[in-house]
Amino acid sequence: MKLIISNVSGLPIYEQIKQQVKSAILSGELREEEMLPSLRTLAKDLKISVLTVTRAYTELEQEGFVKNVQGRGCFVMGSGSALIREQLIAKVEHHLTQAIQAAAMAELSTDQLHRLLDILTEVTPDD
Amino acid sequence: MGNIWKAARLDLALVRPYWKSVCFNLVLPVVFAAVNRSLLTGICFAMSTMAMATVYPFSIAEKNGMERLYGILPVPKGALVLGRYVFVLAMGLLSLGVSLLAQPPVLRLLGVPVEPSEIVTAAAVGALLFVLFMVFQVPGYYRFGSIKGRAFLYIPVGGFLVISLALSKVPAVGRWVDSAAEAAPGRLIFSGALILLTLCALSVLLSVRIMENKEL
Amino acid sequence: MTNYLEVRDLSKTFDTFQLRNVSFTLPKGYIMGLIGPNGAGKTTTIKLILNMLKPSGGVVRVLGMDAAGQAQQVKAELGVVFDTSYFSDQWTVSEAERAISVFYPGWDRGKFARLLEQFHIAPGKKVKALSKGMQMKLMLACAFSYDAKLLILDEPTSGLDPVSRDELLSILAAYIEDGQHSVLFSTHITADLERCADYITYLRSGQVFFTGSKDEFVDMFRIVKGGTEELTDEIRERAAGMRTFPTGFEALVKTEDIPRFPGLTVEGASMDEILVFTRREGEENG
Repeated sequence: MKLIISNVSGLPIYEQIKQQVKSAILSGELREEEMLPSLRTLAKDLKISVLTVTRAYTELEQEGFVKNVQGRGCFVMGSGSALIREQLIAKVEHHLTQAIQAAAMAELSTDQLHRLLDILTEVTPDD
Repeated sequence: MGNIWKAARLDLALVRPYWKSVCFNLVLPVVFAAVNRSLLTGICFAMSTMAMATVYPFSIAEKNGMERLYGILPVPKGALVLGRYVFVLAMGLLSLGVSLLAQPPVLRLLGVPVEPSEIVTAAAVGALLFVLFMVFQVPGYYRFGSIKGRAFLYIPVGGFLVISLALSKVPAVGRWVDSAAEAAPGRLIFSGALILLTLCALSVLLSVRIMENKEL
Repeated sequence: MTNYLEVRDLSKTFDTFQLRNVSFTLPKGYIMGLIGPNGAGKTTTIKLILNMLKPSGGVVRVLGMDAAGQAQQVKAELGVVFDTSYFSDQWTVSEAERAISVFYPGWDRGKFARLLEQFHIAPGKKVKALSKGMQMKLMLACAFSYDAKLLILDEPTSGLDPVSRDELLSILAAYIEDGQHSVLFSTHITADLERCADYITYLRSGQVFFTGSKDEFVDMFRIVKGGTEELTDEIRERAAGMRTFPTGFEALVKTEDIPRFPGLTVEGASMDEILVFTRREGEENG
């Protein structure tokens, strides 16, 4: 799994770790029951605070993506990818709602909005 | 290996890179004895110059900021101080040994007769002198450091001048030492040793107290 | 959780300086940065922990032992790095090892040799010929050779080049990886601590200004910026520190106060910025 830390992204380091672990789970790179890198080794390798990694792992656990087994390590939960999918759908809904509101202000019809979405889907390459 | 012994070895390691200067302090007195054609003067000179060299462990430690090392070593301050005394005494013993081995043959070569009793007397006086210097110098260095306390460095100079003056100008002193040594050598040695031991104990106690109260 | 270092109400009075009621706790397995401007009391605190100064009050416990009462046992577990080496500069590296290894029963000669190799220090080199970074690594090698549990570094990075500083941070990160070692790291170069420190204790004028996790410390403050006409009395009152200039101002405020100042530019504050904004008059910049 790729894990890199940016110093200029503006995101706190624990948040960067969380996001990267989540996207690794969603992409299938990290599979169910797979172990995350040991907390202290990861801190050493990335030269970041142990407490920062602890926070990232703890929050991932609280959100249901991983499970911490005392003395053994952190493991990916089976429901992890479903959870992320749910979150992503919520995000899509949120942005679409914003788009609809903006469209109303711009007096775009629903049809025009649909057409716009089709065009955008076409020009945005999937990655 | 006890802590005192380890501390003394640490001092040896400190002074070892400066062995040439120490050797100079061993050779010079032989020349001095030959020029003065006197074993007693030669030995006293040897012990006085070596007593001046006992500042080395202090000045080297000071120069390198080694109070920090002494501060972090897992050894009581008292052991460090006692180790220093052991090392200083060893320097004295070295000087006495070399002088006793080298000076009589050189003097005899020059035609100066050296009696065995003279050797014993010179050895006793030399040892006494060195220990006397040490008991005053070491606490002085601990208290004031080797730079501010350099007055203590010159104690042996004064001591040696007084001794040689007494030996040359007041022949009675030499005769008294000789006669006392002949009449009751045991008593002289015993009372001398007792006084020295008391002085040493006081000196060590004082140095340990200084070190323990010192804020590094 | 076991604490490797506990400092309670530590005080020390000098003629011109006073350290007052300094308290902090460093748990096993973590790195704590001791920060503050020069003269804030960092070195005094460290000398008190090392029992090189006698405290006017307070206690220090190292690995649960009283640092004053059980000084020998404590020092056998402590590794210390000062800004320059504490060896005779006439010694070679091997002579330095021979001189001090006898004092530590657990000294591992093989480990020392391996560390010298890892740090690229030639055993035959004289101490005075070692660069500052090398001297630092020699002191680290010594501490690791008797497996010191708590490592105390007093301004190790002042005057070090960036490469050596980065190397030090890697060494420290590896040192605490097994969770059995802790580091107390005093510095006025907070950039060194920005990433790797777990805890921060910030000393100012001889007192603890903050002690706790680094993330909490950095999260405690924000910098707000605005034009001169936006500078209200409330900002002046609530700011922990401020800088004004002809076209505007920058102020350090508590994060919880941010909702009081809508419309202003808000940015996160680095440790350096917190130090600079909260310094007192008459003190040097962090």
